[in-house]
Amino acid sequence: MTASPAADVIDTMLGLDRFPDLKALRERRGKLKHLTQTSYEAALRPAEPRNFSYGMRAALAARMATLWKSGELVAHYRALLDGEDPALSAIADPGTGAADADARLSAILAHVDLVTLAPKEATRANIEKLAAAGLDDRDIVTLAGLIAFVNYQVLVVAGLKMLRDN
Amino acid sequence: MSDAVHEFTVEALDWKPYVRPVDLDTATPEQLDALKVTPSNKKVSAYVLVLANEAETLRERTPLFNDIMYSEGGLSRGGREIGALAASFVNHCIYCAAVHAARYIQLEKRPEVVEEIYRNGLDADLPEFEQALFNFGVDLTAHPDNVGTYQFYHLRETGLDDLEILDLIHSVAIFGWANRLMHTLGEPHRQE
Repeated sequence: MTASPAADVIDTMLGLDRFPDLKALRERRGKLKHLTQTSYEAALRPAEPRNFSYGMRAALAARMATLWKSGELVAHYRALLDGEDPALSAIADPGTGAADADARLSAILAHVDLVTLAPKEATRANIEKLAAAGLDDRDIVTLAGLIAFVNYQVLVVAGLKMLRDN
Repeated sequence: MSDAVHEFTVEALDWKPYVRPVDLDTATPEQLDALKVTPSNKKVSAYVLVLANEAETLRERTPLFNDIMYSEGGLSRGGREIGALAASFVNHCIYCAAVHAARYIQLEKRPEVVEEIYRNGLDADLPEFEQALFNFGVDLTAHPDNVGTYQFYHLRETGLDDLEILDLIHSVAIFGWANRLMHTLGEPHRQE
């Protein structure tokens, strides 16, 4: 993690120090701004990462940000992978698909892509595929929570960029 | 499982998970702490008990959700429910839509707005203010990489100030989160 714990990752990636009006607007919703940051830490750097390492979480987040062409988030999550295992950079690339991975990772990547871009298509069968690939109930909730948080972050960043640039 | 509901409805629904919820009798202190901040201590929903599998995330998420939907000032409570509904229609979260349709009607006493959304979905023809909120929610949910000047000026022309727009962004975004949990980790059923 390159940012200090005190730095708000969204303010930083959008360069809001140069946009004091928007930074002040975010502060009017200071509680939710803070909880957005603590939710980021819980999703990406939890005290108990268990079966999803910090590197894997950042790589999956970079993949989702890339799927949505969210440049600032891609840069942020890619930076977290600097110096990490090159396999994580491959995971961050949506061009890396099911055929390139073992059964567990392949199921995870397929689920990440589906629920990011087309959540309405998800059914019980998709959760059953994760279970069949060896994910336990907590793993499935962990993965769902990471996907859900990063997609929230993509929308918040997109909306704030709209306010910043207009 | 034949009573699972796969079409939009305004009737009250139950939600049944695909994964095991936390059992309150065997929950860890951290899970119990995360569960405490939900509105009701006595009857915790299956949904929240599923999320308690990841207590650290749930502990932040519950107050975040509540602040986004219920904070003072800015966009009206009903306006935020329109943002929630727009996201839930794009993402096809039937349970989320039913809950927030009911909440909108309860808050605004304008069932005709919800009826039009249920009748025509993403093509709903709404009064100007609600239309602006709804269109923005649909655009941000479906194409977050493509919101910009057009969406901004449409909201401005409708009279929204900066704080109202910020509140709308958050209400849509938190349903980008909620829909991806509720619609993927379980499914709605008719109440027995």
